[in-house]
Amino acid sequence: MKAYSRYFPHLLIVLATLATLPITAQDWIHAGTNLGNERIRLAVADFKPVGDDPQTPALKAAFDATLFNDLANAGIFDLVSKSMAPPAMPGSPREIDLAQWSAEPANATMVAFGALSVTNGRLAVYGWLFDTHNTVNPQVLGKQYNEAASQDMARTVAHRFADEIILRLGGGINGIAETKIYFVSSRSGIKEIWAMDYDGQNQHQITHLGTISLSPRISPDNTRIAFASLGHDGWAIRMYSLELNRLVSFPAGTSKDLNQSPAWSGDGARIAFSSSRSGDPEIWVADASGANLRRLTNFAGPDVAPTWNPRTNAQLAWVSGRTGLPQIYTMDQDGSNVQRLTDGGYAISPSWSPNGQFLTFSWNRKYGPGAPGGQDIYVMDIASKRWLQLTHDAGSNDFPSWAPDGRHIVFERAINGRNQIWTMLADGTEQHQLTQTGNNYMPNWSWK
Amino acid sequence: MAPAAGSLLLHGGLVAVLLLYGLIAGLIHHHLWGSSGSGAIQVNLISALPLPSDQPPNENVLATDTPSQAAAEPANKTRHAADQNILAITGKNKPKQNTRKTQQHEPEPDNLARYGEQAGSSMPRSIQPEGYTSGQTTVSDSDFGSLFSYYVRAVNTKMASNWYKQEVDPHTPRGSRAYIQFAIHRDGSVSNVQMNQNSGSQTLDRSCMRAAQRVDTFGALPSQYTKSTVMTSFYCEY
Repeated sequence: MKAYSRYFPHLLIVLATLATLPITAQDWIHAGTNLGNERIRLAVADFKPVGDDPQTPALKAAFDATLFNDLANAGIFDLVSKSMAPPAMPGSPREIDLAQWSAEPANATMVAFGALSVTNGRLAVYGWLFDTHNTVNPQVLGKQYNEAASQDMARTVAHRFADEIILRLGGGINGIAETKIYFVSSRSGIKEIWAMDYDGQNQHQITHLGTISLSPRISPDNTRIAFASLGHDGWAIRMYSLELNRLVSFPAGTSKDLNQSPAWSGDGARIAFSSSRSGDPEIWVADASGANLRRLTNFAGPDVAPTWNPRTNAQLAWVSGRTGLPQIYTMDQDGSNVQRLTDGGYAISPSWSPNGQFLTFSWNRKYGPGAPGGQDIYVMDIASKRWLQLTHDAGSNDFPSWAPDGRHIVFERAINGRNQIWTMLADGTEQHQLTQTGNNYMPNWSWK
Repeated sequence: MAPAAGSLLLHGGLVAVLLLYGLIAGLIHHHLWGSSGSGAIQVNLISALPLPSDQPPNENVLATDTPSQAAAEPANKTRHAADQNILAITGKNKPKQNTRKTQQHEPEPDNLARYGEQAGSSMPRSIQPEGYTSGQTTVSDSDFGSLFSYYVRAVNTKMASNWYKQEVDPHTPRGSRAYIQFAIHRDGSVSNVQMNQNSGSQTLDRSCMRAAQRVDTFGALPSQYTKSTVMTSFYCEY
């Protein structure tokens, strides 16, 4: 030790030198709960057309309209209406005058702008999102897109840009602008599975089976649709592959009895459905390939319409008629821990929210002869069992389905025998009709 | 000889270390004032300087830089002279003098010396983003709040929507605050949720911590932000 103690002062000096090296400081955010949470006031400028290709005006019109609608539908922005926005079309960060957008009457805190051009059949879009109050560092987003020039791609690019803005400003939840809704339509004469964009555009038929198909459920990876179909051996759960454009086999779904209402688990590994192969309809679970079929419930009375907890994939909610009228219950994935959620009336079609906290279902709380019942969509917080009625006095509402952002619900509304598909925000506001032709039923929102 | 050599070595080593440190630290540029994210006061280019307001010269003999807390001397009351142009109203009523019927209550003079009332002119030294009238962030030395105010707003909204007020005991006094802190990582995930300062109500503290634990993600940190975590200090006020 004595030899080493000679170097003790040297060690001290080295340590002293090291202590003077600069340490990077930690950044802090200070915030609180009562500081006000208004909706973000967002202005969307018309994009600047660049070049003189004849396709540009039409594509620009589709792009502008789609971008505006997507951001208006998101439910988190207070959009500056086009008549209040300054009459400017800035096409690049050099051209924008932020003071113009943050002043009256626009009063925007964020502005989305950019340029759109068509060259040689390719559509190029440059988009920016700027913070109008931050003159030092205004850029929040800067994106560029290059796709084939067509109306569909113009809308797709607008959907993608809107999703980026919603992801950035909405606190980490993906936007729904590129999601699809799968539904049943009888406009071709027989009930088949159809699909459309989340805003009702691009409605097209998927299955051409020539037989009644009900309750479509898209898989979490957007490749297969499970649905109930009437075949030569009764009602069976069938699987349609969107990649192969044909039916693929699902052996567990076929039996000589009634099989209906399939439900995918959030990881796409299992499917739960209702089957009456054991006598009365019970909830059964199988792997997505059809293997490992097992029964979960064992009660008298029908058990139908299961839905998984997409967050934990370890719980199911379903409708059971064991006490008479159908009520909503939850249970664990092995069938234990059965709990009842509704206390009366006629409750059907549960759908579990993506964050695992809420259930939406259709409920007629005053059901029975002489009771002024209305079938309405409700949202219930599962932990506290508090519920909120979303639709009032507007037809008979059924089959609600959550959007993957947890902010929107799509449902079926029947007025005077006409059934159409509607969408709304999860607090019941902003109800819009999505389908107009024929009769449309049982919508299902895709997972992403 | 050995101690002298040792001493020489030590002093030579000291000088060498100092020189080396100066060289190396000078090459690595940290925290240049004015660069983004370096802890400088943010300055914005503006087109017009706010000039101090014109103040009339003060008549008081004693004048200091700090404004006095005592009230200024009240101005002398002047009586309005009767206007010469008014036609005399014949009859019983004489033109009334403009006397006040009620005495206005004057503030009690406190026994403080009266100083000059000039307040110093102040120029804005740090410019906060205007328009956020609810004062969402406090711009301390770090730039995060002023550079990425939209992210701070997203944090606010997410926390507010995840905080369930009904978990708190209704007997908790209004205005009690529970302060928590947590770290936000690059992908927006939350970790290290800790209690900073109790509010005195256990249910409020627990509900505030649970709100932070409920959050999956606040959204990825802005790409222009270079560090890997941001600490957040958040309070839940009942």
